[in-house]
Amino acid sequence: MAYAPAEPPRVPAALPRPRTPVASLLVLVVIAATGVSFYGTEFDLIELFAGAGPIERFASGMFPPDLSAATLRSTGRGIFETFQMSLLGAVLGIVAAFPLALIATGEAATTRAALRTRVLQAIPYHAARLGLNVFRSVPEILWALVFVVALGLGPFPGTVALAIHSTGVFGKLFSEQLESVPARPVEALRAIGATRTQRLLFGRLPQAGGGFVSLGMYQWECNIRAATILGFVGAGGIGQQILISMQLFDYQKVATLALATIITVLAVDRVSAAARRRLSY
Amino acid sequence: MAKPASATAGAPAGVGSTAESAERSDAARGGLEAAAGQAVALEGVDVAFDGFKALNDLSLEVGRGERVAIIGASGAGKSTLFNVLTRALPVAAGRVLVEGADLMAAAPEQLRAMRRRIGVIYQSYGLVPQLSAGMNVALGELTGLSNRAALRALVRGPGAETSARVVAALEQVGLAERLGDRVTELSGGQQQRVAVARLLVQQPALVLADEPVAAVDPVTGKRVLHALLELADERTTLLVSLHDVALARRFPRVVALRDGSVVFDGPPEGIDDAMLEAVYDEAGSAPFEPDLEPGAQPAATSRCDPLGIALNPPRHQHGLRPR
Repeated sequence: MAYAPAEPPRVPAALPRPRTPVASLLVLVVIAATGVSFYGTEFDLIELFAGAGPIERFASGMFPPDLSAATLRSTGRGIFETFQMSLLGAVLGIVAAFPLALIATGEAATTRAALRTRVLQAIPYHAARLGLNVFRSVPEILWALVFVVALGLGPFPGTVALAIHSTGVFGKLFSEQLESVPARPVEALRAIGATRTQRLLFGRLPQAGGGFVSLGMYQWECNIRAATILGFVGAGGIGQQILISMQLFDYQKVATLALATIITVLAVDRVSAAARRRLSY
Repeated sequence: MAKPASATAGAPAGVGSTAESAERSDAARGGLEAAAGQAVALEGVDVAFDGFKALNDLSLEVGRGERVAIIGASGAGKSTLFNVLTRALPVAAGRVLVEGADLMAAAPEQLRAMRRRIGVIYQSYGLVPQLSAGMNVALGELTGLSNRAALRALVRGPGAETSARVVAALEQVGLAERLGDRVTELSGGQQQRVAVARLLVQQPALVLADEPVAAVDPVTGKRVLHALLELADERTTLLVSLHDVALARRFPRVVALRDGSVVFDGPPEGIDDAMLEAVYDEAGSAPFEPDLEPGAQPAATSRCDPLGIALNPPRHQHGLRPR
């Protein structure tokens, strides 16, 4: 009687694959949802290429960029204002987010506290989380619309909008950073009787501190990009100048303003990346 | 199985009013009265993870001032035992008394007071890497402060008295010059000595050292154990889990765990090949037992020295004294 040779065991591939029927089903659902989204958004590549003519006319109208002294001066003012809005928005966001993040940081309990204690601990935690989610889930431009109505045109409502959105983002990122630090030093402090506050101050905060600065730099980058958009609803910055130039069909000035924005964003990106590299250890 | 009477030395150390009252109430309940004089008493303790019993009906008493080596294969329950003794893990059944007080029944404030009397040292040091060696050592004392005082210490650094104790403790472990260095700049052995210095400042009544020499070279390991022994005195209880049976043999009492239960509890003379086989063989891991020097004998005194160094090394001015 002949036996088929047994299949030798094989090392599985490095690329992860669905291992369970549920995982396979989820992959199918994502593929189907993508197809439905093509249909729902009327996505049409032919139409996109058919619109290339007007785009080309717009792009060719931008050249050569307007490099007159007056344009360069107003571009510089716009960039400086955008820079100030983004920086102040980030700093105010950090200041407001920090205490909220401390409250919103959870810690797995090793002991089962009384119901009243658990409720008293849960209320500020969930309230802080809810507040941060509201701040974060409303985009900057919506906050800017609200504050332009309330405070009028200019960089002030834009800065407030950036600060509020940054508070939500920082609060969530800081609290997650605090929760995800290596647990052993925190456990060691708990084992020798440290209170929750002491564990937070001496165990979690020092370990998360480097990450905070890195996240701060990243959100500042995001604020620079967001601040250019806020001008489109009258909330100051270089976006406001771009909008006015677009409405006046002054595409050469638009080109100068757009180039200045791109250079600023790239510069901030480089500085931020270098700073974050130095902070990583 | 040999099971010696646990050594009790001296009157109960001052546990602080909360722990003392807990001790009194425990005695009034009439449960485990005999254990009230013990540093540690576990009675029928079960700890289970998803149906797997990490500790299985474990009972153990350790007297004040005893030095006990805990041995056993990986997964035998050594780390779980230590986690139970700091209430980092809940128990499914049984009682755990630390200095006579029921650890598992303690209210949060009492629990913190009890934990401040317990010093821990891990294989992975348990230090905060971003803080200086000095601040890590100071944490041994700062956990006893109010939150406001702790915040002040975070911003301004510890007070003059704490700083002096920190410097003295670092001097004692030979690291005074590394006071301001981040612990990440120190070698593994130096980090472990910083952890020992933290114990010196904390002055606990019970020291739990979980594989303290597993991550360092043998010479550094000896130095770390030396420092641990130096800080322990007749009022400080020392429980050390070890993979190195040769080192464990030098302790006056050895407890061997297997499958979450005590399979040996006695003086090191009782450790023979059959016992080691019972502890390690079926678990699939052989004990680490380097050849002893010719003629070397396990010490049999109650204050023996695992490292072949002086049994009662000179006490330093800032040596460990339970508060």
